[in-house]
Amino acid sequence: MVKFFRQVDWFTRISAGWLLVVAFCAIFGRFLPLVDPLFSDFDALYVGLFTPGHWLGTDTNGYDVLANLVVGAQTSIMIALISVGFGGLIGASLGVISAYRRGRFDYVVNTIFNIFLSIPNLVLGLALVAVLATSSDPSMPVSVGRRITVIIISLTVVIVPILGRIARGATLTWVNREFVVAARSMGMKDKDIILRHIVPNVLPAVYAVGFLAIGVVIVAEGALSLLGVGVIDGVSWGAMIARVAGDYEFAPHSLYVPVIALAFTVISCNQIGDYLRSRLDRREGKI
Amino acid sequence: MSALMSIKDLVVRFETPRGSLEAVRKVSLEIPFGTSIGIVGESGSGKTVMSRAAMGLLSGSNVRREGSVHFDGKELTAMSPKDVRNEFGTGMAMIFQDPMTALNPVRRVGSQIAEGLRVRLGMDKKAARARSIELLSLVRIPDPESMLRKFPYQLSGGMRQRVMIAIAVACNPKLLFADEPTTALDVTVQSQILQLLSELRRDLQMSLVLVTHDLGVVANNTDFVAVMYAGEIVEQATTTELFANVKMPYTEALLKSIPNIEMKGGTRLPVIEGRLPNPTDRPAGCGFAARCSYVQAKCTAEHPPLVDAGDGHLYRCWYPLGHTIGRKQ
Repeated sequence: MVKFFRQVDWFTRISAGWLLVVAFCAIFGRFLPLVDPLFSDFDALYVGLFTPGHWLGTDTNGYDVLANLVVGAQTSIMIALISVGFGGLIGASLGVISAYRRGRFDYVVNTIFNIFLSIPNLVLGLALVAVLATSSDPSMPVSVGRRITVIIISLTVVIVPILGRIARGATLTWVNREFVVAARSMGMKDKDIILRHIVPNVLPAVYAVGFLAIGVVIVAEGALSLLGVGVIDGVSWGAMIARVAGDYEFAPHSLYVPVIALAFTVISCNQIGDYLRSRLDRREGKI
Repeated sequence: MSALMSIKDLVVRFETPRGSLEAVRKVSLEIPFGTSIGIVGESGSGKTVMSRAAMGLLSGSNVRREGSVHFDGKELTAMSPKDVRNEFGTGMAMIFQDPMTALNPVRRVGSQIAEGLRVRLGMDKKAARARSIELLSLVRIPDPESMLRKFPYQLSGGMRQRVMIAIAVACNPKLLFADEPTTALDVTVQSQILQLLSELRRDLQMSLVLVTHDLGVVANNTDFVAVMYAGEIVEQATTTELFANVKMPYTEALLKSIPNIEMKGGTRLPVIEGRLPNPTDRPAGCGFAARCSYVQAKCTAEHPPLVDAGDGHLYRCWYPLGHTIGRKQ
């Protein structure tokens, strides 16, 4: 384990460290002794950084930036993990099965993937949120819970074809390998061949791209908030950006802080994804 | 002597955008119990496709298979894919050419051997492990217990091929196809693997089909030989008869192109000029006519049938060689 850690370069270590911090905030942020993130401190509207009591300042609503950042990590990370998790599961299953079976099923699945991939992520997400999370009654705004659910569903739909294509492509390179024929020549069922022989070989590629997808989804969540369809009245990084986007000149730090956190997280995810891919590539090269 | 597998008029076609490609053309072959048959031919002669089609391993929407394959009292071509699958492993099994690609790179050797035992024979984990160790010592792998934990990339080519063989014979098949089992290995390891296969065949009472392009391999390890060319069997006889009494010019050309230790230095090694006929556009006459040094007018005009010279020596030639060539075996 120690030897393993020594081989890792600094950038990857810092990335992993940052992701651990974010994960800690996401899990335990709620229980830390912080001010209520949605408490408006009228005595300290848009105060700057390092103000006692508000170490990262407040935004124009008087919301504490630090509290929003720490507690908001939960929403942002949860949305990212759930949508990448579900999207990966659905996408990878479809991709593996369609590449294994080929024929008409593959044709249909691949066409659907291509159609969805041809629509820009954000436009697709925006369209889905706009359709699914609307309220015809102005006095009954859509609840935060429902908004989050809808965002997760939309981002899942965005992720499915991305990871589906990766899984399909990886499966195509493995499915004609002799060990698959060898498994068939031993009388293995297709289900067992897929689960025992194909999936273990395809998973590394899906993991690596999955990490990149987490970055994409975090950005998409922020962008959707900025466009006014995210978790705008809740606690999330996207919501922080959306709330101050209109008048950030009064409190620039309240915009920079969540944006920098978001950027770090995305860069870290990309780095870890790249690292995983290079590690797994090396192993493939040995064979 | 009854046949374990009898292949009759087997045709395999691949439908391609440029037309139908006939890879195997009406091949008939009997594989008796407990014998070893060699199938020889150059690359592209259809030997691999033939053996895979016989087992029913060719898949894909563009593959057409015709003819009959009778195995162990059952007609494989008429069975459902599920029933055919039940014959795999226990009835027939296959060893592949390249042990690098025929083992799953991300799984340990132990789990790959145990897989067949657990899925096909329903063994529990412990029994499968014990049997795996037994199989690995059967294929003469030293320290089989530590081998179970290794990944394929940690093994040499010869070791991997031994593992492949252990997997293939795990469920005691009656018929073992070995598709160029030694081609990817270096020469010293080749003879060990062939020796091992012969011994296993004797000890486990299997029939062995040895697919190879190496006549030397066939000479020492088989009872019968079928020579394939352009998707057809062009000569077939017992091994001793074939090497003593070649009838088909193609087989002769193959034998002549084996380097001989008695050759004088500086002598050119005879090669077979030209290439296999294009499988989408077969010539009307003998497929070998364009490359044959004895070619005559009839050869390019009419397709020769497979005829029996008596004592089961079959050949496909209008003008068979009447003399003995080749070296003493």
